[in-house]
Amino acid sequence: MSENNLGHLEAADENYVKVDRMRYEKNKTSSNLAVLAILFNAFFFVSIYKSDVGTWYYSILVGASIVYNLLFMMIAFLISEGSKNYKINYSYVAIVMGCLQFVRIFIYPRLASAATTQTTGKVEQVMKGAQHTRVILYLILSGSCLILSAAIGIKKCTDLKKHLESLSEQS
Amino acid sequence: MAQLSLQHIDKIYDNKVQAVYDFNIDVKDGEFIVLVGPSGCGKSTTLRMIAGLEDITNGKLLLDGKDITAAPPKDRDMAMVFQNYALYGHMTVYENMAFSLTLRKEDPNVIHKKVLAAAKILDLTSQLNKKPSQLSGGQRQRVAMGRSIVRSPKLFLFDEPLSNLDAKLRSSTRREILLLHKRLGATMLYVTHDQTEALTLADRIVCMSMGRVQQIGTPLELYDTPANLFVASFIGLPPMNFFQMEVGGDHLYGRYFTITMTPEQKQLLENYQGKHVTMGVRPENVLENGTVPVLVSSNENLGMNTLVHGHVGEGADSRITCKFKGWCDYKKGDTVQVTFNKMHFFDQQTGNRIVKA
Repeated sequence: MSENNLGHLEAADENYVKVDRMRYEKNKTSSNLAVLAILFNAFFFVSIYKSDVGTWYYSILVGASIVYNLLFMMIAFLISEGSKNYKINYSYVAIVMGCLQFVRIFIYPRLASAATTQTTGKVEQVMKGAQHTRVILYLILSGSCLILSAAIGIKKCTDLKKHLESLSEQS
Repeated sequence: MAQLSLQHIDKIYDNKVQAVYDFNIDVKDGEFIVLVGPSGCGKSTTLRMIAGLEDITNGKLLLDGKDITAAPPKDRDMAMVFQNYALYGHMTVYENMAFSLTLRKEDPNVIHKKVLAAAKILDLTSQLNKKPSQLSGGQRQRVAMGRSIVRSPKLFLFDEPLSNLDAKLRSSTRREILLLHKRLGATMLYVTHDQTEALTLADRIVCMSMGRVQQIGTPLELYDTPANLFVASFIGLPPMNFFQMEVGGDHLYGRYFTITMTPEQKQLLENYQGKHVTMGVRPENVLENGTVPVLVSSNENLGMNTLVHGHVGEGADSRITCKFKGWCDYKKGDTVQVTFNKMHFFDQQTGNRIVKA
C-alpha cells in the first residue's frame, strides 16, 4: 500500500479519515459476517441430522450434504480471511455461496418436509413444522450474512482502491 | 509534560532487603534524567516505583504537585518502554501502536491520526502493516516508543531500551531518542547501565550504587568533578586510573613515582599534609613526554586515539591506561614517559572528593 506523510490527513473530514484507516485496519465486518455464516450453517446441519434415520432422503442425500457442508465451511472460512485483507474476488465468491444457501432451502428442507416416514410405526412427516422453520431460518441467515459480507467487502475494496489511487496521484 | 518529585523514597522488600535508600530528586518539566549504575544498584526498582509497578515503602512521589505515591499505574499517566519491547506478536505495528487507545475506547479516527503522527516522527510509516517479527530490533524498539507517544503521557519512562540492540543500532537509536526528546519536549526518565548512553542523552544524570544515589548532576559535572571514588571509576571510558599518594610538603609521594604539586593542589590538600589520599587521573589526561615511566603491556589503536595499557611499577596497583591522541605504535616492553594533566583527589577514609574548604 502506498505510504504518505500526514499532510493528506491534517484538514481531512471524518469520511476521508475513515477510508484512510482501511490502509492499516482489516475488514473485520466482512470477515466476521462470513464466520457468522459458518456458524448458522453449523446450526442448520446439526438440526437436519436430528431427523429420523431410515428415510429415503437421508440415505441418498446425507453423504452429499456432509460433503457440501464441509466444503461450504472451508470456502466460507477462506472468504472470511480474504475479505479481511480487502480481496474483492473473495467477495464475489461470497455472493455465489450466499445464493447457494438460498437455493438449498428448496432442496433439502423442502423435500424433507414433503416426505414421510414409518419408522415409529405410523406415517409421519420427516421434518415437522418447527424443525422445518428453524432449518430454513438458519439457511436464510447464513446466506444473508455471506451476501452482506460481500456487499460490505466490495464497497470497502472499491473505496480503498480509489483512495490509494488518489494518494499515489498526490505523491 | 510534567514535573516529578521524589522525596525520601525507600524500597524495602518483604524479605527485609532494602533496594533503594532515601532517593530524592526534583525533575523539571521537559528534563531528560538518566539513572545510571551497575546491575543491582536499584535504578530499575526506582523506575518501577515511579511507574507504580512496585510499592513505595517510605517517602512521597509527586507528579505536578499531586501525590501519586499510592496511585495505581493506570492513573499515573506515564508510559514505559521496556528492554524487551513488549509488543504483541500477532498484531501489526499499527495495531500495536493503536492498542492502548483502543482499550480507552477513543474515536478510531482520532486514534488513526495519532498513530500516523507518531509513525511519522519515528519514521515507521512504511512499516505500519508489518508484524513485529518482520522488523529489526531498532524498529521494534521504535514501535514500543511509538506506542508510548500516541498516549501523550505526562512522563516517559525507559527501562534499558537499547540493551537488546547491537552496538551500531544502539548508537543510531540513541540519537533517535535524543531527537524525539527534543521534538516532543517531554519529561523523560531513562534507566541504563551504559555510561555512554547516560553521558550522551541526559540533561542530568543520577549515578547510583548499592541502592544509594552517589551523585546527581549534568554529564559534565559527573565527568569533571565526580563526587566520590565510585562515580569517578564508573563514569568515563576507559575508567579513571587511581594511585595511593602521600601528601608531603610540595610533593605527592606515591609507591612508584613522585609528583610536584601546583600551588592550587597544595592549597586543596593543605589539610592532608602527612596523610594518604587517592589520586585519580583519567586516561585522556595522561600525556606523553613526562617524567613518569610507563612500561607498555599493550597498544590498542582506535583510529583517532590509541589506548596504551601498562604499569608504572611492579605491583597490581601500578596498572595504568593512557589515551594518547593519534596513532601510536608502542610495542610490549617499551617505556613511555608520561605526565598527568588533570588530577582528582579523594579522601581515603570516606572515598569522597576533596574539595576546597
